[in-house]
Amino acid sequence: MPVVTLSSDPLLGREIAVKAATALGYDCVDREILKAVADRYDVPETDLHKALDESPSPFGISSNHHARYLAYIEEATLAVLLKDNVVCRGLAAHLYVRGVSHVLKIRILPDPQKLAGEISSGKTSSFEKVSTLLKRRERFRRRWSLDAYRVDETDPSVYDMVISLTRIDPDEAVKTIVETTGYRKFKPMTYSLKCLKDKALASRVRVALIDQFPDARVEADGSSVVVQTKALEREKQKRTEVIKKLAGEFPEVAAVEVQILPDIFRKAAESFR
Amino acid sequence: MAGKLEILLLDDEPIVGKRLKPALTKIGCDVEVFEDPRKALDRIHRKTFDIVVTDIRMEEIDGLEILEHVLRKSPRTKVIMITGYAMMEVAREAMEKGAYDFISKPFTPDDLRKVIAKAAQALGSPIDSETADPEEPSEPAETR
Repeated sequence: MPVVTLSSDPLLGREIAVKAATALGYDCVDREILKAVADRYDVPETDLHKALDESPSPFGISSNHHARYLAYIEEATLAVLLKDNVVCRGLAAHLYVRGVSHVLKIRILPDPQKLAGEISSGKTSSFEKVSTLLKRRERFRRRWSLDAYRVDETDPSVYDMVISLTRIDPDEAVKTIVETTGYRKFKPMTYSLKCLKDKALASRVRVALIDQFPDARVEADGSSVVVQTKALEREKQKRTEVIKKLAGEFPEVAAVEVQILPDIFRKAAESFR
Repeated sequence: MAGKLEILLLDDEPIVGKRLKPALTKIGCDVEVFEDPRKALDRIHRKTFDIVVTDIRMEEIDGLEILEHVLRKSPRTKVIMITGYAMMEVAREAMEKGAYDFISKPFTPDDLRKVIAKAAQALGSPIDSETADPEEPSEPAETR
């Protein structure tokens, strides 16, 4: 059966995700897994939430921490998705499972009128204020997703289906999601399962490298792994050796290719000294 | 279905049939190999196969057309698509049109045997995909 990812405003989507999972007989996975991730990597759980909600900034979470926390979350989420029969929400999975044909990626758009009640918690909040707030949040999510994954999560083409709660009520949305999972095109196949396994392996290797190589990009194809990172010419050999050693420690990895790109900023900085 | 599993294998690269035919014969399949999609189609119209394994990207007739022909003639036949140019859109299109499975190249003979065994199970004629020669090389059999 296909895996379902739900992307929505943080205040929305949980009810739909839980109901869809129940109807499908799936597990519903959301930010509750962050506690286990925090324990495993010995990082504050609140920082993992921040990484999902905030962009790196000089006054908030640093770029390196942001990348590291997202790598931990991605690794943990992909491990869950590999188990199949999952509805996943709130972990930005739609941004790192692109290209996997048996993952049904859904975006839920809020109904500003209904959301007004939830945001104001009983206080009066005008439709215009909520609409402005939602637009601001959307701009923020666009920037966040571009910073983190170079993908604009507000772009409808990222998704297989976009459901507007202004026109479709949550129960109808659940019904639509459940029906869509039955389409043949979303059926898991050898190729799509391999794509997901490759992404999961790449994420594990990236986590192993991230302390020493925070900029490392990792791709896996079966038992072959390609790592791309930046370095100065004199560092090339040493870095290649370290990366090959770390990535080679995974039993599934048979070959490691390291691509070192010139670090032009550090090179320029050194030339001014 | 009685006796051996009847398989048609179509790929315009001769090496593919050459490597995969013995691998499938070893697990008790009767395999006919074609490099020309027109000849394969002609054979498909004259004989009903249990499983058709076809490349997608070929000159003149592509694998998706083969898939449609096969299923029009025999809806019970399991069609397995193989390609060196796998992409999500093509994979989804193939599955939507009724493909049983979709494999990206390169793959090993053992990878294909596992998929064939799964298809045989679905056809109600399970085979043992483990009966292959353990000395057989496990490197990918395919090129793009």
